[in-house]
Amino acid sequence: MMESKSLNPTAAEASAALVEAEASRATLARGIAMPRRFFTLMGAAVAAQIATTAVGLGADLPWVMAVGLAVFAVVAGMQLARFRRLNGVWLGGLASRVVLGTGIPASTSYAIALGAAIWAAFDARWWFVALWSIAGGTAYALSGRQWLRTYRALPAVHGRGESAVWLVLIGVVALAGLAFLLTNS
Amino acid sequence: MAQLDAAVVPPVRLKLLTTLTAVSEAEFSTLRGTLDISDSVLSKHIAAFEQVGYVTRRKGVHRGRRTTWISLTPRGRKALSAHVAALRALIEGVE
Repeated sequence: MMESKSLNPTAAEASAALVEAEASRATLARGIAMPRRFFTLMGAAVAAQIATTAVGLGADLPWVMAVGLAVFAVVAGMQLARFRRLNGVWLGGLASRVVLGTGIPASTSYAIALGAAIWAAFDARWWFVALWSIAGGTAYALSGRQWLRTYRALPAVHGRGESAVWLVLIGVVALAGLAFLLTNS
Repeated sequence: MAQLDAAVVPPVRLKLLTTLTAVSEAEFSTLRGTLDISDSVLSKHIAAFEQVGYVTRRKGVHRGRRTTWISLTPRGRKALSAHVAALRALIEGVE
């Protein structure tokens, strides 16, 4: 009897159920906290990666690029583990958009900063390499903060990122690049 | 017109699936805290959803303890969308 009643909710019951469900989702999304200095550390890792790539290309030192990639991989992995431990959830959107920088603001600012830093390195303008690296890291960190705001506003839209297969593929390509740099240095 | 899904009709189940849309995967105690229900009630609903293929669970570790991680399947996401559409149609039909 109860079952048949619950299978035919009234409009008021349906409306209340939807409001409650959305409130529950909003509570979870609002409760997501970032580990201390998450964005600062990600920004620093990206800045280091941009700088080492530019220096590695400009001074023909492939192992420097490999070090930068390794530093980024270690920092990114640690930050994701800290996030998961702190919140008890996994957010694909955070991993792909914020950490791997697949969001448009992060990828665009990264490409511009990397290009400018490489150009500066070929011209042996090392101060510019440092400045563009810091600018790239800062933009990366700020775009991560922006993503967090959009996630909290629309968690169902922004919570998921690329599929696990896609992320594994990116990881494999990065590792292959690292191996290539190390074997050719 | 979309039909209500019997597996999702109880409000707590609608809350569970909707909450899972905010994340890729959630740890059992995080879900229990968010939904404010007991371990046994949550386990029961997860088992029911698992049976119809709406969620998956896997054993893992959280803060050094063995625990369970739950995620929404593509089938569960589709079912939730259809159910929510049916609820909205029901509400609009009355207004």
